[in-house]
Amino acid sequence: MDVFEVHPPLTAEERAEKRKLIVRDFIALFTLTLITVMIGVLTYFLFASFARHRDVLARRWRAVGERELSRGHPDQAINALRSALQYAPGQRDLEVELAMALAADNRDLEATAYFNSLLETQPGNGMIHLQLARLAAKQGNAELAEEHYQRALDGTWVRNGYLERLSVRLELAGYLISRKDYGRAQTELRTASSNALNMPEKQIEIAGLMEQAQDPTDALEIYRAQMRHRGSSIEAYVGAGRTAYALGQIELANQALERAVSRPDFANLSDADRKYVDQLLSDSGRILELYPDPNLSVRARAERIANDINIARARLTACFASANASGEMADLQGQWQKIPARLSVRMLERDPQLEQTTMSLVYETEEQTAQVCGAPTGDDALLLKIAQAPQAVQQQ
Amino acid sequence: MTGSKLRSFFGGRNGGQAISPQEISKVAPTRDERLFLVLSIFIGVISGLLVVSFQVAIDWIKILTLGSAPHAGQYRLLFVPAIAGLLVAAMVLWFFPAARGSGVNQTKAAFYIYNGYISFRTVVGKFITSALALGAGQSLGPEDPSLQIGAGVASIIARKLGLSKQKLRVFAPIGAAAGLAAAFNAPISAILFVIEEVIGQWSASVLGSIVLAAISSVVVERRFMGAEPRFRIPAVTLRDNRELVAYAILGVIGGVIAFGFSQALGYLRPKLRAMPRWTHYLQPAVAGLLVGVFGFFGFPQVMGVGYEIMDQAMHGQFAWKFLFALAIFKLIATTLSFSSGTPGGMFAPTMFIGAMLGAGVGSFEKIFFPHLAGTVGSYALVGMGVLFAGFLRAPLTSVFMVLELSGNYSIILPVILANTIAYLIGRALQPVPIFEVFTHQDGLDLPSLEEQREETPLHIEDAVQPLSVPVVRGVDTIAQVSSAVAEARVSAFLIQMPDTSWYAMTVDELTAAGAALTPETPVEKAVKADRVPMLFPDLPLDSTLPCFPRWPLLPVLNRASRGTLEGIITLNGVLKRYQSV
Repeated sequence: MDVFEVHPPLTAEERAEKRKLIVRDFIALFTLTLITVMIGVLTYFLFASFARHRDVLARRWRAVGERELSRGHPDQAINALRSALQYAPGQRDLEVELAMALAADNRDLEATAYFNSLLETQPGNGMIHLQLARLAAKQGNAELAEEHYQRALDGTWVRNGYLERLSVRLELAGYLISRKDYGRAQTELRTASSNALNMPEKQIEIAGLMEQAQDPTDALEIYRAQMRHRGSSIEAYVGAGRTAYALGQIELANQALERAVSRPDFANLSDADRKYVDQLLSDSGRILELYPDPNLSVRARAERIANDINIARARLTACFASANASGEMADLQGQWQKIPARLSVRMLERDPQLEQTTMSLVYETEEQTAQVCGAPTGDDALLLKIAQAPQAVQQQ
Repeated sequence: MTGSKLRSFFGGRNGGQAISPQEISKVAPTRDERLFLVLSIFIGVISGLLVVSFQVAIDWIKILTLGSAPHAGQYRLLFVPAIAGLLVAAMVLWFFPAARGSGVNQTKAAFYIYNGYISFRTVVGKFITSALALGAGQSLGPEDPSLQIGAGVASIIARKLGLSKQKLRVFAPIGAAAGLAAAFNAPISAILFVIEEVIGQWSASVLGSIVLAAISSVVVERRFMGAEPRFRIPAVTLRDNRELVAYAILGVIGGVIAFGFSQALGYLRPKLRAMPRWTHYLQPAVAGLLVGVFGFFGFPQVMGVGYEIMDQAMHGQFAWKFLFALAIFKLIATTLSFSSGTPGGMFAPTMFIGAMLGAGVGSFEKIFFPHLAGTVGSYALVGMGVLFAGFLRAPLTSVFMVLELSGNYSIILPVILANTIAYLIGRALQPVPIFEVFTHQDGLDLPSLEEQREETPLHIEDAVQPLSVPVVRGVDTIAQVSSAVAEARVSAFLIQMPDTSWYAMTVDELTAAGAALTPETPVEKAVKADRVPMLFPDLPLDSTLPCFPRWPLLPVLNRASRGTLEGIITLNGVLKRYQSV
């Protein structure tokens, strides 16, 4: 409209009409304002009641989801957690719980997709990487699993990052052990051990994993270190006994196991564990009885050797008679024939060289008969144990 | 306040008995313009409040009828949508016949046919029936009804304030933008959609009011719902340019699915409408039952609006096979719900299908090409835009919708690529846009906005002719001019006046001047007071038509040098140019 447009002057009647119109417009706008306020108040109450109800529903479904997850019903937990998320969208911990429920329900593709999507919003989240590592491991994708484990170690953690990373490292070590990648598992476990210096329980767990990773030496070191701690657990003693026995350090094993059985918390072990420890203690004790300890008196040592000779000779005779072992054992038989048939304790006492030769023959006999006639039992088995590392028996 | 008092405050219908619109324009000629902007804010605020109430009503009804956590195997999923369908059908057929359908076409019809008139009953009916249908699980969306509710609010307010018919007409799209903006929580997309689909052209006169109303409604909506976008948008990235191939494939899939969706609706809707009237009472119930069957047997996600499902898909909560299955079942469910005449919109289902397709493509790529794929959320977002472009055929809105929802311009390349492909495929396979198909099915003939968009308007330069008449100066004598004109044998000629203005004189005028004045008189003394309008080659050709009753021909000038003639145009030349289009 042209601003310079000239309008004819209004008549008095038109001016009155204009005033009326202004008043009417004012009243109309005022009424419109009142109506707007009225609708606003109604909307507010409607919305507020819904918002309250939504919060209640979110909490209720979350509780149901967590309960079902803990009860091992992931399928029902998924529905509940999805509902909870519907009423409380964007809650990170709820989303993670849902993804974990999907994984627990073996819906690996969905869980992986969900965790990947969560990762996109939090690229360095260690916990999500850990979950993805577990899923990849479950799906047999070792390369991806190890990558995610590594990222979980390097990633961020909301609480107790130090402990969480340690747990991830132990889980990674366990995964590597399951893949028989013992070398890398041992490396991870050594790192974990140095990261958990003041954590006895973790040290025991690490030592256990080291045993599985075929590193009993380091495992024994950790168990022994834990035995020295005040308030050390029974697991440290049993572990030390077990690993020392495995390494052939029988005297050390015997000492550790004796201390283990004398502890009051020994009774807390399961029946199977107690039986195992008792057996190990008995075997180690008997090995020490069979072992020709250089620290014994000459007479006692000669008596033990004579006894060992008798055991080995009997084993050889039985094995020789049992199977077609004559060809393979002819050489061994020949060596035994060089030993005087009526070898007395006195002869052994007088001739240290003879002692050594006969004990070597005893060990060789147990080893060869084990190969030809199968694993020995009783004292033969224990002699074989000594034969594997005679010098280690008294090693501390 | 009683109804009669309220009516008197608002002046009754069309200003009531007090002052007629003619009188208003006489005593207060600028009143409408002044009220226009103020009322735009009121319309925005009230639309925003109503849309919030509408959405809360849908959610409340959903919780009360389907329960707070509907899942497969619940028997209520079977009978609730069916019973609600019966109720909705009865209400629509007995009380609110204009509430049927989505609301977009009704708003367009109000704009083009009914002078912006949308009744109060329609607004109430749309609110109640749509809320009930959507809350009870019918597979439709709340955006189109919100658009119509907003348009209805605007229409009621404009009528009650006795605005002129011209203003009344443009208020409907203003309210539509406000309603849609609040429903979308995306004002720019809403404004673009209303301009692209309802008004059909950019009009500076209403743009300001549309923006004002849309912003007001979004401010109100955000006051309640929070400032966050409708969806929680994950990190949006284009990791590798080779990903564009996947986006292009998404565009192709989207275009084909959009075609299938259009075909399904275009086929089923008229078939159901043509059935006997008594079946119309049952159609929404049967549609509800079938949608409920989908829900009961493992796909409850396709029931209702599905925003939260889109959100979940965007955050990678579903495997790719399930996502594609959801897209297909949603397409079928929406076709059934919409064709049955249940009130509800097409926006949310379109976005739902697009999001599922997009997330499906993204998830597939993530599994089979893990180092190539960006985020699943990016694909879901682009997928929404793809279906919007291919099915609703609003390409500009589709691009801005994705940008506005994601708030990330790095996604623009995939969006434009995929949307353009889907749009072109959709257009090639289905030349008539879906809203226009519905219009024709309803027996209306509204302008095709897609065609309008693509029309190339003619300009003066398209009809300009070389100078073929004498050009004389105003200081030339009548004798000199008469001689030049006689020599040229033309019926009209141009005079350049000393002040650089132009005059087109007919030979008759010259003859009359020659009889009244001496031959030595400068011809400028013989011309009348008016001058030919200044015309330039880039002006619309139709702007010349009002000039021809007065002028025999019109000079076309150069914008850089007004004294320079580009040529002339004549009525005959203009008409010939239009006839040759």
